[in-house]
Amino acid sequence: MSRVLVAMSGGVDSSVAAAMLVEEGHEVIGVTMKTFCYSEIPTHGKTCCGLDGIMDAKRVASSLGIAHYVFDVEEDFTRDVIDDFVSEYAQGRTPNPCVRCNSNTKFRDLLARGTALGCDRIATGHYVRMAHTGDEAALLRGLDDAKDQSYFLWGLPPEILPRLLFPLGDLTKGEVRERARSLELATAEKPESQEICFVPTGDYRDLLRKRLGSVHPALEPGQIVRSDGSVLGQHGGFAGFTVGQRRGLGGGFPEPMFVLAVRPDTKEVVVGTRDELFGASVAVRELNWLTTAPSPGDEVTVQLRYRAPAVSATVVDVGADLKLALGAAQPAITPGQSAVVFDGPRVLGGGRIA
Amino acid sequence: MSTVYLDHAATTPLREEVLAAMEPYLSAAFGNPSSSHRWGQEAAAALEDARAKLANAIGAGPSEVRFVRGGTESDNIALIGGARALVRADSAATPVVLVSAIEHSAVLEPAEWLHKRAEAEMRVIPVAADGTLDLHGVSADLAARPFLASVMWANNETGLLLPVDQVVPWAQKLGGIVHTDASQALGKVSIDAAESGVDLLTATGHKLGGPRGCGILYIRAGVGVEPLIFGGGQERSLRPGTEDVAGAVGLAEAIHLAVADLGVSSAWMTEMRDRLQARLVAQIPGLRVNCQDAQRAPHVLSLGIPKVMDGAAFLMALDLEGVAASGGSACHSGAMAGSHVIAALYGADDPLATVRLSVGRRTSEADVDRGADVVSAVWHRLQSDA
Repeated sequence: MSRVLVAMSGGVDSSVAAAMLVEEGHEVIGVTMKTFCYSEIPTHGKTCCGLDGIMDAKRVASSLGIAHYVFDVEEDFTRDVIDDFVSEYAQGRTPNPCVRCNSNTKFRDLLARGTALGCDRIATGHYVRMAHTGDEAALLRGLDDAKDQSYFLWGLPPEILPRLLFPLGDLTKGEVRERARSLELATAEKPESQEICFVPTGDYRDLLRKRLGSVHPALEPGQIVRSDGSVLGQHGGFAGFTVGQRRGLGGGFPEPMFVLAVRPDTKEVVVGTRDELFGASVAVRELNWLTTAPSPGDEVTVQLRYRAPAVSATVVDVGADLKLALGAAQPAITPGQSAVVFDGPRVLGGGRIA
Repeated sequence: MSTVYLDHAATTPLREEVLAAMEPYLSAAFGNPSSSHRWGQEAAAALEDARAKLANAIGAGPSEVRFVRGGTESDNIALIGGARALVRADSAATPVVLVSAIEHSAVLEPAEWLHKRAEAEMRVIPVAADGTLDLHGVSADLAARPFLASVMWANNETGLLLPVDQVVPWAQKLGGIVHTDASQALGKVSIDAAESGVDLLTATGHKLGGPRGCGILYIRAGVGVEPLIFGGGQERSLRPGTEDVAGAVGLAEAIHLAVADLGVSSAWMTEMRDRLQARLVAQIPGLRVNCQDAQRAPHVLSLGIPKVMDGAAFLMALDLEGVAASGGSACHSGAMAGSHVIAALYGADDPLATVRLSVGRRTSEADVDRGADVVSAVWHRLQSDA
């Protein structure tokens, strides 16, 4: 048995993950990351990253008889996650802040602090699995298709993989709740958090206005155009739009219209019919590989957004960027979202859609 | 695992004598001091006995002592209520609130709040690591304006004693009033409120074996302080609300005992602090003892530890080995922020990690030796990991 550092958000998943590690006989140390300044954001009691989350995690840790600490990562989190989130929207893209946090903040900090605290292993409550063969550690999808969170973990530093534990990878959400109830954990009935932790109101545009200032081009009116340049109307700021979005375009079209692209240079939002939304290839930048990178010609699957199925693809080119030819054209391939490359259940790596 | 509590500057265990003194007022003697019946009379008598005992211990008159809910509340009332009382109907001059750079946030925050609301102008008095205050630089136009200077008696993070005895004549000459937060000093160094000449003095119980949530604001007779909350007129309307009789009794007992024991306990704490310091200096090359060459309260040992990238993780590692210590002020959530005190004394880019160890009257030689060994062992382990 080893000394394990477990990240506890104060939600039910990481509470159960900690409890399972204790049951397995590990020496468990719980930590909660303080990611942003709570005093500026009104609490709504539903996000698991807020101060209430810290207190809930402390209660659970105390009931499990384990130590609990708070890691203040506010400075790093603001720079690497919130600033990036704002900058991506300002450039007409749609970011995955949870991916950024896992890749740049959370696991790196857990590793550094875990090492300082003499922990051999790092654990979280993500629904993913690890497979160890010889020296190689592979990150696999969680068994529960409905909860699988592998999409969010492609950016992990590969050298950290051998030290990771994901106790929930073989469980369903229902089973996790059941365990939480039978252990009478304080967080057993806590609702799922859906919002981005630093946008508790659910409206990210409030955050953009606050951080960009109201005169930023991304928040100024622009034109809604078709691909041929014809103008259909006005929008209130391109930062409010994401590829595939239908809402907020105004009505009166003969057939449903979807956002096809956001053009920050001209402040245009390009719209078109559902047919126009499909693309047969994808370019991916800012790559990270958890194992050897695939080679041109390799058959892989790729997941282009959370909760979308992985689709077959062929590697066309791989280097600083990755080009994939999709087996079947996919709708709403969105710049800024993650493209995660799989071999069966195994995460090979990923990047941001260009 | 044997555990060692070396965080007495954060809080202390309740003394047995204090608990015994409080017990009747937590049970049978439950009356409201404002009630006219015998239950009320009993409670009122206990409250006033406590006030007299406490006043006597700190060199104050009973009517100069107001019971409040702890040090933070006392500081807030002193700063905000004190500044507001300086506003004169016949003068447009905005009061000046001067605070030393190393005050507790319970002083800094209300001063900033007053400044932000334009109720007062905030000025920060620079402090050197030897405790010297730069009063000259902040004195401009003070003679012509009402002002309140708040300078803590002993700093909570370093134990540094500030020259309150120099601040008082300086302020008196310029016509201002002086507040001092003596939360870390009372019971550790000799304090006589009247003799010190301060106008306002904050003290709290839980730093010296008393109950938490119980403190006082000493207000020298004739000094004005506006209340911040309003109600039934208790504590001469400065801090209304039904009194915490048990808390007041416990607080008075704790302060009385701490002052009565002062000679012995402060000599013991000095001995333990110096023993801890000597062992650590010998075991950790490059260790800095913060404010080493200055007058320090006897219980605090503040260390600047070299080659530790992450002071928070260092403290967590100490806790895992059973040693309680602290860094900068711990915030509400338990996350550790960088210390404004160390930044003020040693510069914002100080490369050393701050760890505060603080001894108590019951800290033993064995505690100190084990604490030193653990701090040293954790430091050496982190060096080999790096």
